Amino acid sequence: MSKNKKGMNIQAKQQRAGWIFLAPATLMIAVFSFYPMIQAFITSFTTGTGVNTKAADPLNYNYLRMFADRTFLRSVGNTFLYLAIEVPIMLILAILLAQLLNNKDLKFRGLFRTMVFLPCATSLVSYALIFKSLFAQDGLINQVLVSLGILESNYNFLGNTGSARAVIIIALIWRWTGYNMVFYLAGLQNIEYSVYEAAKIDGANGWKTFWKITVPLLMPTIVMTVIMSINGTLQLFDESVNLTKGGPAMSTMTMSHYIYNNAFGQGVGKFGYASAMSFFIFILVAILSAISMKVGDNRD
Amino acid sequence: MKKKIVSLLLVGVLAMSAFVGCGKSSGNSAKSDDSANTEENTAAKMYTSDDENTLTVAAWDANFNIPALKAAEKAFQKENPDFKLEIIEQSQSSDIENAITTAAQSGNYENLPDIVLFQDHYIQQYVTNYPDAWQDIDDADIDWSDFGEEKLSFSTIDGKHYGAPVDNGTVIFAYRVDLLEQCGYTLDDVTGITWDKFIEIGEKVYNETGKYLLSMDGSGNDLPYMMLQAEGVSQFKDGKANIADNKTMTQIIEVIEKMQQKNVLLLANDWSGYTNDIQKDKVAGVMNGNWIIPTIEQVAENSGKWEITSMPTLSGEEGYASNGGASLYVTANCKKTDLAKKFLAYTFGGGDGAIDTYDNALRDGGVITTCISAGKSDVYQEGVEYFNNQAIYAKIVEMGSHVKVVEQSDYHYTAREKVAAAITNIHNGTSVEDALAQAQQDLEFAMEE
Repeated sequence: MSKNKKGMNIQAKQQRAGWIFLAPATLMIAVFSFYPMIQAFITSFTTGTGVNTKAADPLNYNYLRMFADRTFLRSVGNTFLYLAIEVPIMLILAILLAQLLNNKDLKFRGLFRTMVFLPCATSLVSYALIFKSLFAQDGLINQVLVSLGILESNYNFLGNTGSARAVIIIALIWRWTGYNMVFYLAGLQNIEYSVYEAAKIDGANGWKTFWKITVPLLMPTIVMTVIMSINGTLQLFDESVNLTKGGPAMSTMTMSHYIYNNAFGQGVGKFGYASAMSFFIFILVAILSAISMKVGDNRD
Repeated sequence: MKKKIVSLLLVGVLAMSAFVGCGKSSGNSAKSDDSANTEENTAAKMYTSDDENTLTVAAWDANFNIPALKAAEKAFQKENPDFKLEIIEQSQSSDIENAITTAAQSGNYENLPDIVLFQDHYIQQYVTNYPDAWQDIDDADIDWSDFGEEKLSFSTIDGKHYGAPVDNGTVIFAYRVDLLEQCGYTLDDVTGITWDKFIEIGEKVYNETGKYLLSMDGSGNDLPYMMLQAEGVSQFKDGKANIADNKTMTQIIEVIEKMQQKNVLLLANDWSGYTNDIQKDKVAGVMNGNWIIPTIEQVAENSGKWEITSMPTLSGEEGYASNGGASLYVTANCKKTDLAKKFLAYTFGGGDGAIDTYDNALRDGGVITTCISAGKSDVYQEGVEYFNNQAIYAKIVEMGSHVKVVEQSDYHYTAREKVAAAITNIHNGTSVEDALAQAQQDLEFAMEE
């Protein structure tokens, strides 16, 4: 190692090696992710259907159009409704479950952890279909509720706006709580047990320990899960398509579902408009993530 | 040392695959959204064959269209023993629609089969959107006057014939005659009646048997389209949305709401709910394209209890409509165009093999022809046990000849979605006028370029 013939020191060598290792992945990301993104951005300034496209006039036509599109605005509203209700419930549940399952004295910890995480291993389509059959008018939930006397007759859960939205939210919570819990568990394990011991000696109760120690020390993880959940919810697609088909009367349709309908779903082939709406989501995700990062920073 | 070499090799392979990936599609990516799509088409496993006597066709529905294609292959083999038709089975029609979209968007048709089965309601839009994806078959040896005019109105684009008709979408109204009898009615009492009379009968049937006389999928509602067509009216007029100021539409929507209120019509949340309702014996009547027959027949214990007739209308004349159906189209990737045209003309196109093709298609798949001469064969005159030995196939071909041609549009399914939403909103309390005005606005908005 002492012979640096080419006049390179160790640091330069390491840097070069680093670049060589990074290059293939960077190249592939550029080709398969960035290139399509740029293409989509260009496409978002075109109008027309299928291959009969031309430059939009004015150039931001698609971007203006979406704010006059009632169905799109409705899908934005739906998506934000899911976001506002589902994400807080899910994250609070996840953090509580993580706290419970982090208890060293708990028996069968591994089993419980696996059970809570298991929903994440199911495919999005199949779990949506299972929820659909559960909440069908002659499905299990109706049978149980009727035989318990809670409902008088079978209720059409997926045929009414309010209940259809609720079913989607319940499904989302079921599917994603375990996923977020795993992050919190990992975060909790990084907190030194001695910190808790010190708090105990100082006379802090469980509630105080949770708010003064657990939450602040978990903040980076919380911020990350919030960003991921926002990102995921804004791109929500499978549940809307498979559980409700966006119905009744398009009242549960998400943004991504509407984008798909414009590009592929009804064979309309409006790729320009669909791309423009996709970039609207992109901007939304960026803004919301920036906000949650800022909020997380202040607490630190 | 060894590890280093292995990892270098792996990195090399990865890098190479990236280059291969972009090299393949860079030549034709001018219009592409995503150059990786070329890879995806291979996954859909559509292809053409190098053999000069082999054609490939992508189609869906193993119980319906695919037996028809097999029947055609057999018929054509009588004259061309070397001929082979390779059927690439797809799980649903949208698989083929998406394959065409991806191929056309990337400008690379290499992975399409020679022939595709395509939904009638979609084809005009796909030919307009992707003209380079298709080859017309206008000069094939087909006597076009031998086909139902309404069926051909879908596959004729700018005066050119693009498709060979396969099935027939003529609407049937199937009734449980045993239940009608129980309520004091016969099949004649429900033939050629007004919708008001229908509601009156339906109410009685529900009160006495607990079954609905009509059901439909509420999300992609086929009902208003069929009812409108029976009146000879469309959701479009001169290429524009025709919903709010369409008096017939208003009347029909009012009938639909009334039917719901009086327990005559059961609207399911989606398609699987709809077929479920039929199979769980919740209905005493089914009205849809005749391709719904296999669904009805799945309840074996009701064999012999059903019979079919025409639709009610607003005026009380017998109503005829058509819903759904598909035709065969030759893609841009077909190099054996002459063989494809010869095959289509000889079999589905009413040529010498047409009787063979359609008779076996009917026997094996229940596919009913729109080819007038082929519909006269003996097989069509036979009674069907499930339908109380009524000669339903001859009846369907006969009804099909009365279907009125109504204006079609690229936005057929969008219109259906908007009208379905209006029906839901009306049922939830919106006034008919407001709901239809909103559907009109939403459809006009969607149709803007």
